[in-house]
Amino acid sequence: MSRRTQKLSRAVLVVAAAIITSNTERLPAQEVDDWTLSRTPWGDPDLQGVWRYEGATPLERPDDLAGRATLTDEEIAELARIEAERAANREAGLDGVAVGRSTLDESPIRGNEYNIFWQDHGRARQAYAQTSLIVDPLDGKLPYTDDARIAARRSDARYGVGPYESYLDPDTGERCLTDGVTAIMWQGPNGGHNRIVQSPGFVTILHEEYRDRRIIPVDGREHGSIRQWLGEAVGHWEGDTLVVETINFLDRTNYEWASIWTRASESLHIIERFRRVSETDMEYTITVEDPKTFTRPWTAAVPITRLPDGIQIYEYACHEGNRAMPNLLSAGRVEAGLAPSAN
Amino acid sequence: MRIGFRGVLASAVATAVFAALWLNAAPVRAQAGDYTAPRTADGRPDLNGIWQALNTAHYDLEAHSARPALALTAALPRAEQPGLGRSTPVPMPAPEIRALGAAGGVPGGESVVVGGEIPYQPWAAARRDENAARWLERDPEIKCYMPGVPRATYMPYPFQILQGTNEILIAYEFADTTRTIFMSDVGDSPEPTWMGWSRGRWEEDTLVVEVTDLNDRTWFDRAGNFHSDALRVVERYTPMSPYHLMYEATIEDANVFTRPWTIRMPLYRRLETDKRLFDYKCVEYVEQLMYGELGVVDPETGEQND
Repeated sequence: MSRRTQKLSRAVLVVAAAIITSNTERLPAQEVDDWTLSRTPWGDPDLQGVWRYEGATPLERPDDLAGRATLTDEEIAELARIEAERAANREAGLDGVAVGRSTLDESPIRGNEYNIFWQDHGRARQAYAQTSLIVDPLDGKLPYTDDARIAARRSDARYGVGPYESYLDPDTGERCLTDGVTAIMWQGPNGGHNRIVQSPGFVTILHEEYRDRRIIPVDGREHGSIRQWLGEAVGHWEGDTLVVETINFLDRTNYEWASIWTRASESLHIIERFRRVSETDMEYTITVEDPKTFTRPWTAAVPITRLPDGIQIYEYACHEGNRAMPNLLSAGRVEAGLAPSAN
Repeated sequence: MRIGFRGVLASAVATAVFAALWLNAAPVRAQAGDYTAPRTADGRPDLNGIWQALNTAHYDLEAHSARPALALTAALPRAEQPGLGRSTPVPMPAPEIRALGAAGGVPGGESVVVGGEIPYQPWAAARRDENAARWLERDPEIKCYMPGVPRATYMPYPFQILQGTNEILIAYEFADTTRTIFMSDVGDSPEPTWMGWSRGRWEEDTLVVEVTDLNDRTWFDRAGNFHSDALRVVERYTPMSPYHLMYEATIEDANVFTRPWTIRMPLYRRLETDKRLFDYKCVEYVEQLMYGELGVVDPETGEQND
């Protein structure tokens, strides 16, 4: 366990405890000596750089940790040891299953060991004290409506199975559209890098996967009325915290989504807060409200890490290289007896 | 016949006169003249804003007359049918797009190529003509592919320049494509890409961007003008007034052209209050075309596999 990981884990432990006791949705600043927030030449807090979520904490609290918001110091140390070991095994080519899964059965894509590259962080994930990224509601679970819970189960059952009769059957990610705004800042390894660039009046977030792009005005304008896939984001500064409110999403609830809690819906309303607390750390919280999917708003608190200078976001030419779609559909036709097998 | 010949002659004369005037008028390089661009807080020329080309370069970089459509079928002689001895003097829109009527027409336009014509090698000129004839199958724009450089600049969509501290973003509306212009040394691109690898520098008020590592899948326009993966582009963005930039792109590709050549056009600032770029997720618009409801279109040949 690195010194940095230890330090951050303790900080998060304190943070999580504060969340439980005060029930605020914002994290208190991590205590770091001799660090001052740098500013852009025009005076805004400088959030620029390439950021990603590097933690091992899942969105929802695992059932075996029910009733516990945090891990003990010993549990954190053990988690960090496991993550380091997995990273080393992966580096050595010994790990045959997806990161964070101990057996092939737990692998999200059944029988497809090759797909572990989607989950490869490249370095050990960090062990935080939080048992779930969701801090509200207090049980750490997504507050699905009954209909949404059924839709989520249906989505899980279809994943990697089909049917694939039409281009509308694969999920929005497989169609190279988007996986939604909700998890953009913290989806993890595959394309989960985000470059933040600031210019006067705008904060732009370039997300690697699907080249999702959010050009967020922070110039005092109000929301308009034009609906979009990624909604309409408008930001403002509250002290040194960037607050972004996103509404005006299109209704795409009729499409398949890999995770339905990220789906675009006309009633989706997202509030995000970005606060840089050290050279390498940002407190990021997201509050998601959508009566079409959730019984109540939920909030996740996510520690985001700034990656070293020189790490780039590369071009994501998903649609341009989407050979999976024709292959899925032609295989689907063979299975349905509508086309002869190539064999 | 006589009228046709006179028409051709008049057109040739007009072209020659136009070319002479244009060549004389064209300066070697865009210069801002007396205009000095406003400065950003860190002292750089301020190019921030939403810009758009207002010309017909997205149809065809070279000079072209107005025509009924991009995809055409030859006019058929109808002499076999009584009363229909004449054929139309212009080719007609291809059946796939005939229903668009005048909305599918192509307005005429001046060449944006300095000197007028693209200096193709002979084989490449033939390939360009073939591309134009098979536009519906071959143009990557139709499939919602990233447009490449310089094509992204003059497509009929706005784009936004966002000047950060260490890099400049150029965000294009079409296909939600963004380029990062690195203003400090970041080394080489690991791979050829659709939008290339862009390294920028300032020359007085001009942002100069060297673009390398472009793949060979993109075109320059809807007229079949193309390049190979040896393409290298040097772009120059020069502020000319608060409301327009002069854009130049010098194109080098020894596999396809006999010499480097340059395009030049003004770009105009979008002045609408609180103007912003919108999503343009055109993938959703082309899936039926590319994949069919039940069948699959071969991405290489464009043929429908029923």
